[in-house]
Amino acid sequence: MPLASYQTSVPVVVDDAKCIADKGCTVCVDVCPLDVLRISDMTNKAYMAYDECWYCMPCEADCPTGAVTVNIPYLLR
Amino acid sequence: MSSPFESYDDLEDADERLQAADPAERRVAIIALGHSGDPAAVGHLANMVADPDAGVRQQVAMALGEFDGPEAASALVKLLVDPERIVAAAAADSMAEFKDPACAEIILPLVGHAHAFVRMGALRSLKELRCKDTLKPALEALQDPDAAVRVQAIGVIGFLKLEESIPALTALINDPDAHVRRAAVSALAFSQMKPAAETITRALKDADWMVREMAAETLGLNVNGSLAADQLVGALTDEFWQVRLKAIRSLGKMKIERAVRPIGHCINHDQANLRKEAAAALGEIAHPDGEAFLAVIADDADPDVRKNARWALQQIAARKARAGA
Amino acid sequence: MALDQIVDGLSEVSCDVLVIGGGTAGPMAALKAKLKNPKANVVLLEKANVKRSGAISMGMDGLNNAVIPGYATPEQYTKEITIANDGIVDQKAVYKYAQNCYKIIEELDSFGIRFLKNENGDYAVKKVHHIGTYVLPMPNGETVKKALYRQLRRARILISNRYMATRLLKSSDGRIAGAISVNTRTAEILVIKAKAVILCMGAAGRLGLPTSGYMFGTYENAANSGDGYAMAYHAGAALANLECYQINPLIKDYNGPACAYVAGPFGAFTANNEGSRFIECDYWSGQMMLEFYNELLSGKGPVFLQLKHLHPDTISEIESTLHKVERPTRGLFQQGRGVDYRNESIEMHISEIGFCSGHSASGVFVDDNARTTVPGLYAAGDMASVPHNYMLGAFTNGSVAGIDAMEFADNHDFAEFDAADVATERDRVLAPTRREDGIPPNQVEYKTRRLVNDYLQPPKVTRKYELGMRRLAETRQDMQEHMIARNAHELLRALEVQSIMDCADMAVHASLYREESRWGLYHWRTDFPEKDNENWFCHTLLSKQNGKMTSEKRAVEPYVVPIADDEKDLYDKQRIRATA
Repeated sequence: MPLASYQTSVPVVVDDAKCIADKGCTVCVDVCPLDVLRISDMTNKAYMAYDECWYCMPCEADCPTGAVTVNIPYLLR
Repeated sequence: MSSPFESYDDLEDADERLQAADPAERRVAIIALGHSGDPAAVGHLANMVADPDAGVRQQVAMALGEFDGPEAASALVKLLVDPERIVAAAAADSMAEFKDPACAEIILPLVGHAHAFVRMGALRSLKELRCKDTLKPALEALQDPDAAVRVQAIGVIGFLKLEESIPALTALINDPDAHVRRAAVSALAFSQMKPAAETITRALKDADWMVREMAAETLGLNVNGSLAADQLVGALTDEFWQVRLKAIRSLGKMKIERAVRPIGHCINHDQANLRKEAAAALGEIAHPDGEAFLAVIADDADPDVRKNARWALQQIAARKARAGA
Repeated sequence: MALDQIVDGLSEVSCDVLVIGGGTAGPMAALKAKLKNPKANVVLLEKANVKRSGAISMGMDGLNNAVIPGYATPEQYTKEITIANDGIVDQKAVYKYAQNCYKIIEELDSFGIRFLKNENGDYAVKKVHHIGTYVLPMPNGETVKKALYRQLRRARILISNRYMATRLLKSSDGRIAGAISVNTRTAEILVIKAKAVILCMGAAGRLGLPTSGYMFGTYENAANSGDGYAMAYHAGAALANLECYQINPLIKDYNGPACAYVAGPFGAFTANNEGSRFIECDYWSGQMMLEFYNELLSGKGPVFLQLKHLHPDTISEIESTLHKVERPTRGLFQQGRGVDYRNESIEMHISEIGFCSGHSASGVFVDDNARTTVPGLYAAGDMASVPHNYMLGAFTNGSVAGIDAMEFADNHDFAEFDAADVATERDRVLAPTRREDGIPPNQVEYKTRRLVNDYLQPPKVTRKYELGMRRLAETRQDMQEHMIARNAHELLRALEVQSIMDCADMAVHASLYREESRWGLYHWRTDFPEKDNENWFCHTLLSKQNGKMTSEKRAVEPYVVPIADDEKDLYDKQRIRATA
């Protein structure tokens, strides 16, 4: 069966201007229990690659520069 | 395949990384040192307290929170006096984690610092150290113009549980700040001496409801609390139900028989919480006079009230049976 | 390199004690094992990252079951737990927990984990329950994981993050020999030989589907997909009372705790739409959930956590904990809906089903030394059968497991396993990556969990369970023959679905076996609505025997803390019957 991808609005937002992933920081990617954050090959900044979020907050709480914001996933907002 | 285990060689190139031109890169290096758990990291971190970048210093303050002992304390006290509030706040949080009493002598000089935030942070970190040398400076800090500093000083003194501090704590009953009065009342709980209980009792008449609530609760913890039974009975007519509730609970704990009627008169209160505590207290006291009041709430709409009433009636029945036997 | 690209690789390491799961029980088990024998190698394997993994990833807002001298006694606690679990309790483990947990609190305190203290530095224990006093708030409890991680690093535990264990290895004589795991970002296989293995893999929290429809909006940390239950099962260990589900009262849609234990000591309570309390039972238990369920259906719902009767200053104090610790996005959620606790109550509902001994009584069967029925294999925390564990139970029993496992490792050599077992498991693990075409794991998972909701959610109807079993079997076939994983991350999810499916099958099997109703809503069978003490006052043990799922009865161990009839009565009078 062929696969299609479908759109989803992700709860975790990263402010590229504040993110220092390009300087070697991997804190948010490291701490995520669901392993849904990645560092982009194009921008070298962190982003949410998979919409599988427990809205638990370590990524936001541990980010050294305050670049990460966790929102409540739309379906349960 | 690389090693599947977390590395324990974090310090290998630490110095080089800590000198990176980019402050963000220095931050990343500092985070790694904090996570290393290696006591040797403290020295490297201590070298960074004067970094020109406030974000870097903030990160150093957070990383030092992973360590305990005089070396970490020496570095953190420098960051607590940092002009940038984000740095000082991170340092204060990290210092609050200390457990090693040897940190006390390094922190003590800051209790007299010009800035209230520094004095507060220093006192806050001294509490858990429970070190007798901190008593005198903490007693002096009770005169601090800043109320938040006085609250922290009370904690330092209260944690030490020394009878000699009672007069100073008692004097705070007239403090203009309600938070200070509330903390002072709580800190008196440990004292075996009657004056402490008398002070707590006076606080039942405080202008602030939270102080009165704390006084009512603390009398239940104090060994001489039952001397204030009449005043606690008086508190059963306090305008705030949350105060009355604590008074009921303390009277129940102390098993004050002459409180049965006044507690019984609370049994019809609108607040189910209060009815429930009244029922429970009547059970603890277990005096037969409680039965009539408990009968009133036997069919209360609130199951928790009914449950406590049933339990209370059982206690009274058991006591009657014992008396009969 | 493409995102999460699959790498072909297999390596092997060995250690004395392997702890699987770095959440709550796991770090404590690893630490205690290492402290018992500092020369030994202790590996802590974790699917996520030990720094922030597990149920307490953002800390915990309080202890619900602290047995602190002067406030409660081990005897009293053991009685309460026995009665809350309808008597089906091996008391020895509960009593041991109750005796040891205060020491553990003091140890956690020395680690820098913060409990509420009064101005004399004494623990500020709060009375919430009807009889005992067990609640110790942790308004600054957000640093629990940080403090634990610090201890692990100090003890030089070998920490392996982002490895998901998939199967246990055993020798031909049935002793534990190690585990097989897979890297969740590269799909490389890591075999870990070990003399003793401790499973601390958390609840099966991704079993039912939350009503919001968001698959990861579960009550439990969504990483807790029941892998430990599945692994223990396939290794032949017995699992106890799985029909005793976990179902919790939660903030509607947010699906996290409200949390009555935080707000309760301040005077908040669960109320119906008339603003009246309706819950008779003190403990989070099946009985309480039945009362909750009945209220929702009675027309007196919705059900709320009510705070608005409290002074605004008190509400601010409650908020400062609720919005900072355990599930800090609670504040954000309420804010998004414009709910202010000062004038509006918190709408509550009933969670999806799961397995979790933290709040119920099911799990991998263990004795009072945390030993499973497989020699050398231990279990602790939410997945082990000691009832009403909560966080403190995970720490306390994790500690017991760590010490006993190291003793076992000190007295045994490595057991030999068959190399063919590794090859077979590698093929099973990687199978979804070797298909060109098929169904992605998210669809298999959604369907499985939707079937769980449709057919397994209590009340349990035999006919529905039989239908559910058939539908699940069809989905299992799709999973085994057609599921695809296009990268390592998808493979992680594909492996988790297989754990979820195994747990669903176990839930069905265990539920059909116990032909009575017990534990309130958790095991309410409409075809057997009465409690049947004559035939079913026993544990049920589920295990894999000759490749088949099998259930049997096991007698409840004689009580170490006898419960007088009038004490039973005291509780029983508070209770309502399933059929009421």
